[in-house]
Amino acid sequence: MKDVLHLMSMYTKTTAKAWFQYRVDAVLKSLAVFLREATGIIVIWFTLMKFDNINGWNIYEMVFLFSLLFLTYGIMIIFFTGLRDFGNTVRSGSFDRFILRPRGLLFQIIFVNSDWFAALGHGGLGITLFLISAWKVGINWSLTNALYYIFTIAGGVLIQGAVFLTLATLNIFMLQTNSLKELLYWNMRKFAGYPISIFNKAIQIFMIYVMPFAFVNYFPAQFLLRKSDMSYSEIYMYLTPIVGTVMYLAAYLFWRFGIRFYKSSGN
Amino acid sequence: MSFIEVKNVSKTFKVSRRRAGAIGAAANFFVPKFEKKEAVKNISFNIEKGEAVGFIGPNGAGKSTTVKMLSGILHPNSGEIKVGGYIPYKQRKAYVGKIGVVFGQKSQLQWDLPVIDSFELLKAIYSVPDDVYRKNLERFTEMLDMSGFIGQPVRQLSLGQRMRADIVAALLHSPEIVFFDEPTIGVDVVGKETIRAFIRELNRQDGVTMIFTTHDMRDIEKTCRRLIIINEGEKIYDGALSALREMYGTTRRLEVAFSEKVDLPGFENVTVENLENNKKRFTFENNKVQINELMNRILGEYNVRDINISEPDIETIIQKIYTKKEAEI
Amino acid sequence: MSLRPYLAYAKKIFLNRSAYRFDNVMGIISTCLQFFIFWEIYKALYGTSTDIDGITMPMVTTNFILSMGLGAIFSPDDYFLPSKIWDGSIATEFLRPISFKGRMIAENVGNALFNLLFRFLPCLIIALFTVGVNAPASPAMLALFVLSAVLGFGVLWTISFAVQMTAFWLINIWSLITIKNVLINVLSGSMIPLWFMPRELTAILNFMPFSSVYFTPVQIYLGQLSFEEIMLKCGIQLAWIIVIYLLGDILWRKGQKKLIVQGG
Repeated sequence: MKDVLHLMSMYTKTTAKAWFQYRVDAVLKSLAVFLREATGIIVIWFTLMKFDNINGWNIYEMVFLFSLLFLTYGIMIIFFTGLRDFGNTVRSGSFDRFILRPRGLLFQIIFVNSDWFAALGHGGLGITLFLISAWKVGINWSLTNALYYIFTIAGGVLIQGAVFLTLATLNIFMLQTNSLKELLYWNMRKFAGYPISIFNKAIQIFMIYVMPFAFVNYFPAQFLLRKSDMSYSEIYMYLTPIVGTVMYLAAYLFWRFGIRFYKSSGN
Repeated sequence: MSFIEVKNVSKTFKVSRRRAGAIGAAANFFVPKFEKKEAVKNISFNIEKGEAVGFIGPNGAGKSTTVKMLSGILHPNSGEIKVGGYIPYKQRKAYVGKIGVVFGQKSQLQWDLPVIDSFELLKAIYSVPDDVYRKNLERFTEMLDMSGFIGQPVRQLSLGQRMRADIVAALLHSPEIVFFDEPTIGVDVVGKETIRAFIRELNRQDGVTMIFTTHDMRDIEKTCRRLIIINEGEKIYDGALSALREMYGTTRRLEVAFSEKVDLPGFENVTVENLENNKKRFTFENNKVQINELMNRILGEYNVRDINISEPDIETIIQKIYTKKEAEI
Repeated sequence: MSLRPYLAYAKKIFLNRSAYRFDNVMGIISTCLQFFIFWEIYKALYGTSTDIDGITMPMVTTNFILSMGLGAIFSPDDYFLPSKIWDGSIATEFLRPISFKGRMIAENVGNALFNLLFRFLPCLIIALFTVGVNAPASPAMLALFVLSAVLGFGVLWTISFAVQMTAFWLINIWSLITIKNVLINVLSGSMIPLWFMPRELTAILNFMPFSSVYFTPVQIYLGQLSFEEIMLKCGIQLAWIIVIYLLGDILWRKGQKKLIVQGG
């Protein structure tokens, strides 16, 4: 255990050191991530200065909806940068090197590429947005609501982690999933900040059952805010932790299967 | 029982076949079509502890696949591999701590950081005890003359320097077996010599078992006594390097510069080519033609300015074996 | 100076891009999806109103399809120089008997042409048949739109060029490039039509190059500008191109010198 902790600290030290070889870039990195991710909310902010509300959601409620997205992503990306970039790892042959080292594969993928600055940017944005909105949207932060919130965040982390793990595994089979990831994840994420009720049915179904961002922020926000645009059964508001757990387990099994396949096929 | 045992090992890859057209591209995505490619066909060999074995073969012959199977990256489709009592692809974590692998084409060093930082990280990854690490680092740095650049970022190193650092990186945990996959590729002549000398020393002094793949026959000549040749997935030669020369290196080449223009009669079993300046080249097999007889005839009947005999270098012999022109084994 | 090698580079990029068919299908779907979702957002924002400050929903739609379409066309490779400095290949690049900058432009133009045919046009056609796009105000305005769009590409390219040049000193400039792209996305009107920007911000934007990239062509297309205004705005575009290019070029010269002195 001590050995593992030492290695983790060495990985972190090495990564940080590599960044600080380029001081300007390292210093600006969290800011850049923060700004890039804030693009969506800045756009909404300006838009709602003009339009007041979107489908009954005012600016603070929108900020709250966004904050859930970024908090969960910020926590998830601490552990999943390596899986997000796993396609490159396989293509460049670095994955072979991981196999040649006497350490767990998932452990190496996670810690070799951890990107703390980016996580800080994402998480920092999530926290900022949460602090701006949490006390202005009329949520009573009772113990029940606080517990609900914590479980929801955990569920949201697992959902997005499962998506990354699944896409990473797909890389083993066909090497290039960038465009699929771009389409399924990044594109949809840009719009997950909006209440899904404004979109047509097809997109709503997509965001509930295919790339279930609705469980990351819309349904949980509905539980806490009770807006009138909710057209789904109340049960959906309680499913986030379950959806997260089930998706993650399934993704993990798929990953195990993928690793076996890699060793038998190479590339 | 040998240290490394490879028995009837085969490896088949599925290669995806692309369909044409936009619809084909989409179809490829959802229902990929594969065809089989046999990379390694029924190969067997044993290697004893402390041996240094060169693996050669043209591109795509199956060298890298064999190394990847031996090091545990790939499963064989059939056959058995055992190294030092381990089955590489099954007992990965226990096994890979005992081996070192150098991929000449793919550095394992941290590109942005000084060499020494990568070494420190590897020390943690392999849990190398402090004293062992220090001893190895000092010794290897000295042997490979690395003290001048160990503090420099890898991206500023020359290819030869980087390769030396990569070799040390694979050895810090004192592996019992080392796989070198093209460790001299792209390195200049002086750099190659340094690397070869180091590898030879490591094998002779420390008794490290080594498998060495390369394109450059000189690498093998300088480091290995034994040679395995693979072509199109099959093992076509396995034995001492010196024996190879005796078996296949029978061609001799005689170049004679005559004083004037001459017309020669035909000689049996000898090919004659005309070169410029009244030079002629005679090519023959030394088991079919007596060289002194041939030379006596030439020197006796004509005025000769200069004469020169050469035996084929190892490259030519290997080339001959690949093309199987003469070497029907 | 022969143009032939540069055409060859442009062609190479074009052909390379065509090879990734699956990527291209996905790219078209991505661009369309992005457009439709913004369209849906604005439909929700407009609700039952027909126009807001004189801007109608069809105008907003046209703004999005044009600026996102142009955005899909204009994607300069921000890492063209930085990646070559980082991996050290820049040294051999300078040994080639052609202009590095020329090659950079050629590859970006090849890329832009590919995007025009396989990103912008498919999306435009899909949009025409689904949500409808305003026709250009007049044929003359269409021609001026094209001119201004080309200038807009010039502005975008020179910004990318100038930012890339800092890689001579900083080597890794991911953060700078990311921040640059955030500014372009937010301030150029591709994600929020500049009509709806707060007035104070619009005043500041007039002194920045961003609105020159997408918003000027869109305004011309919709016939919102008089001929004099068009000439002025295109002049501003041209001025930005010159100023930013010269700035980038100074960095380029100094950077090269630094590279030679320090040997990478």
